[in-house]
Amino acid sequence: MANSNSYLYEALMAKTAQKETLKDEEIHLDDISRVKVLSPGRQVFKRFIRNRLAVFGSMLLIIMFLFSFFGPLFYRYGQKQIFYKFDKQNVNYGMAKENTAYNGYSIDSSIEIERPVVNAINSNIKQMIAKGQDHAVLFGESGVYALQKTGEEIYVLSQLGTAPVCTLGSGTVKVGVYDSIRKSISFSGAEIPGLVEAASSIKGKGGVVELEGISYTFTKGVGKSFDITAEMSGIQYSGEVPENGFEEALEQAVQEESAAFFFSETEFITKANGSMTEVFRVNSEAPARVFSRLTADTRQLGQQVSEEFRVGALLATADGSTFSADSRTFTVAYKDDVLTVLDEDGNEYAEFTVFSVRRYTGEDSMAYDLKKAIVEHIAGMEAAGLKTDSLVYALPQQAANGEYVYDDDGNLLYNDSEMTISRRDTGEYVINAEQVIYVIDMFSPPTSKHILGTDGDGFDVLSRVMYGGRISLMVGFVVVFLECFLGIVMGGLAGYYGGWVDMLIMRLVDIFYCLPSLPIMIILGATMDALRMDTYIRLLIMMAALGIMGWAGVARLVRGQILSLREQEFMVATEATGIKVKDRIFHHLVPNVMPQLIVTATMGMGSVIITESTLSFLGLGVKHPLATWGTIINSVSSASAMAHYAHIWIPVGLLICLTVIAFNFVGDGLRDAYDPKAKR
Amino acid sequence: MLKYTAKRLLYSVLILFFVMFLIYVLMYNMPMGYVETKARELASRPGATKSYAEWLADLNAQYGMDKGVIQGYFIWLGHAVRGEWGDSWAWTIPVTQEFHNTVWYSFILGLVSFIFEILIAIPLGIAAAKKQYSFTDYFTTVVAMVCISMPTFFLATLLKYVFSVKLGWFDLSGMQGRNYLNLSDFGKFLDVAKHFVLPSITIIIISIGGLMRYTRTNMLEVLNSDYIRTARAKGVPEKKVINYHAFRNTLIPLVTILGGSLPGLFSGALITETLFSIRGIGYASYASMTQADIPFIMFYLAFISILTLLGNLISDLLYAVVDPRVRFS
Repeated sequence: MANSNSYLYEALMAKTAQKETLKDEEIHLDDISRVKVLSPGRQVFKRFIRNRLAVFGSMLLIIMFLFSFFGPLFYRYGQKQIFYKFDKQNVNYGMAKENTAYNGYSIDSSIEIERPVVNAINSNIKQMIAKGQDHAVLFGESGVYALQKTGEEIYVLSQLGTAPVCTLGSGTVKVGVYDSIRKSISFSGAEIPGLVEAASSIKGKGGVVELEGISYTFTKGVGKSFDITAEMSGIQYSGEVPENGFEEALEQAVQEESAAFFFSETEFITKANGSMTEVFRVNSEAPARVFSRLTADTRQLGQQVSEEFRVGALLATADGSTFSADSRTFTVAYKDDVLTVLDEDGNEYAEFTVFSVRRYTGEDSMAYDLKKAIVEHIAGMEAAGLKTDSLVYALPQQAANGEYVYDDDGNLLYNDSEMTISRRDTGEYVINAEQVIYVIDMFSPPTSKHILGTDGDGFDVLSRVMYGGRISLMVGFVVVFLECFLGIVMGGLAGYYGGWVDMLIMRLVDIFYCLPSLPIMIILGATMDALRMDTYIRLLIMMAALGIMGWAGVARLVRGQILSLREQEFMVATEATGIKVKDRIFHHLVPNVMPQLIVTATMGMGSVIITESTLSFLGLGVKHPLATWGTIINSVSSASAMAHYAHIWIPVGLLICLTVIAFNFVGDGLRDAYDPKAKR
Repeated sequence: MLKYTAKRLLYSVLILFFVMFLIYVLMYNMPMGYVETKARELASRPGATKSYAEWLADLNAQYGMDKGVIQGYFIWLGHAVRGEWGDSWAWTIPVTQEFHNTVWYSFILGLVSFIFEILIAIPLGIAAAKKQYSFTDYFTTVVAMVCISMPTFFLATLLKYVFSVKLGWFDLSGMQGRNYLNLSDFGKFLDVAKHFVLPSITIIIISIGGLMRYTRTNMLEVLNSDYIRTARAKGVPEKKVINYHAFRNTLIPLVTILGGSLPGLFSGALITETLFSIRGIGYASYASMTQADIPFIMFYLAFISILTLLGNLISDLLYAVVDPRVRFS
């Protein structure tokens, strides 16, 4: 029992001892650890983090900042990096058409042909074809030219040296001008003997003189000169009279309406002039140009021919069959009615055809057999009356990067490709084929390479969004800072001094409060558009303008607070201790306004971001190469882009919303935390 | 009261004077290439009767640009006070006529949105205040925040995308349907009304949040006041406490702020009207601003400023009318 008693006693003692120690540790009223004292800042913080919405907002903001300011550091693309891609597209590959224009090649480039004559060549040749003529005479301003058909679709233009022979037919002909002072006549054509003597009777307004059965009329011209005209009929020779039989030949030519005729191995040409016909003798003929619709196609791919070659080949069809060009000798021959050029070894070198097949850009880089295949196919289409048809033929093979593929020997590899040949209303045929081309990667849908795709300029949208966030957030900060700075200074001065300073500043506040800021920003943006201002300067001006127009609210707030704080004891104390006015305002009054100010500034940040993005969306804020969230949406804001590229503007728009919401939540949370009594 | 009103009116006129002066200075200092471009354009128009130099001199004289900025302002003011606002450059009709052509569309749009805004925001705000910290309260707060934070252009584009592009219920923009001219009078009315639906929804959503929060805050303040506690202590049914005692007192700040926003119904919704091509005054002014139509811009800005001042005045006066405790001194 004693054991048991002693055991109980020990237990009791232990319990008492435990109680004693507990009693010692009991917290006293004045114990520092009894009330956990928090600094005002900690208290605010504690209240703030209790607000779930505010914490959510803060998290959002932190994420947004990391995303915008640090994201670009770790992201592989820049904001102005343009992305390209190789894309298989159905492009206009080639063009096949019948040449309609006659191209001129110089035989002798030292002879100058008058422009109007060259310009009218095509219509002249067509006129010749229509009339079935092989020879035509063209009269320029001063020169005379002959156009001679030397072969199928080949025309040679020569310059003629001529002398007048006679005039034919009846009509009024200008003979010359009579100078009544010098008693001399400058004849237009051949000299008429005896006319000067006969003209001596002419005085005053003029008159008529009869000479050898022809009456010459003198009409008063300039000064003391008279224009002499004569009524002519029949043949009037000027100068040397040709041999007998000329008149019959001439008459025949006039009846046949041919422009030229030969008489005793001399060429004569006629020129109709009203009812008269003037006849010239051709003294010399110098070939100057050759005109042809034919274009040269070489057998070997990529071989270009010189003008010398073309001229030689075209002329060789008429005079002999060999010609030399580019220090080589060629032979021409017609094979199946096609003008073919053979080289020294008798191999086919090139051929001239009216129907030309070229790449769409105009360059001659298509293989000969491809051209032939296309021409044959088109002939088949024409026979069948088809407007569109497709053709499968070997085209040079392209690798994924658009380059041609060569085999080990350096020859092009071909693969069969489908081409579509379609006839245009203007008569030419367009050949469409799929080709790999290098294009800007526009409006690419989201891929693993570009998470949000690319925009209309080939920029990576995600990268633009990051950089855009930088600017949007930065604009928010700068503008709010400016607003607060101006507001604190003005509001502080007004509130502290009162009286006329207050009156003046508050009237200014009223005026700025009343200014319609969005319209003014739009006008400013339009003006800067008109001035083509640099986008960085625009950004600065925009921030300054937004700040200047937004300070009034802050000033009002600061003044109101200061008015009530001014009357409190601590301000009397500052006055009593003789602190400088500047320090009293900005060290003692303003810090007490801070809580309210921080709330207003946080909320203001959201509205500035909305204003900035709205302006950028309208295209009146930050401009193109620089990205902001507003400009990114603006780039896809047209009705069709909006419908198709929702993957660009919806995420960006949501980002704006989230940022503004976050600022508002944080602002709300801060207000509640600073002033729990006001929390409702 | 009368004295106070008169004083406030005079004061508003003074503010308006300086506001317009600031705007005039801004317009005056805009690059002169502006007026020159306009003069060049006017002179090169087919059928133009004046040369470039004449137009330039004319335009400069018309807006007092050939005078100094102070003198020019008084000349402009003199014309404006007499109601001579000049001819709009962009619309080629008198400014006042363009105003008459457009302002009623804006007013109708504003009024419809205003009514719906009241009908939605006030009951929701009261419901949130009645059960503070409940799900309804949090929900309303979040919705209000989202509405406040929504940029107009994004909301408008989103609505267009969903209702016009995806669902095809409405036209993308404009005020009339394709076969408007073939419709009966009532059909025409319905057609225009249909085109006003999306813009109205945009404006309602954008403006609903602020009013909702305002209602909630004021209702909470009233519900925490002594007379409500007294009413409850007396055993007045909760329904009557809310609908009779509390609501009527909440109305005081609400009526004040709503009355103050009445003039704003005429000011037009610049962004919304532009995005939906509603030919209201906001749309017209936006087009004028981007085309440097100085006469219309000056008129519009003056109009907006007057409306703002009028709104402040009305809300201050209403405050006294509605709340008998307030007396002007």
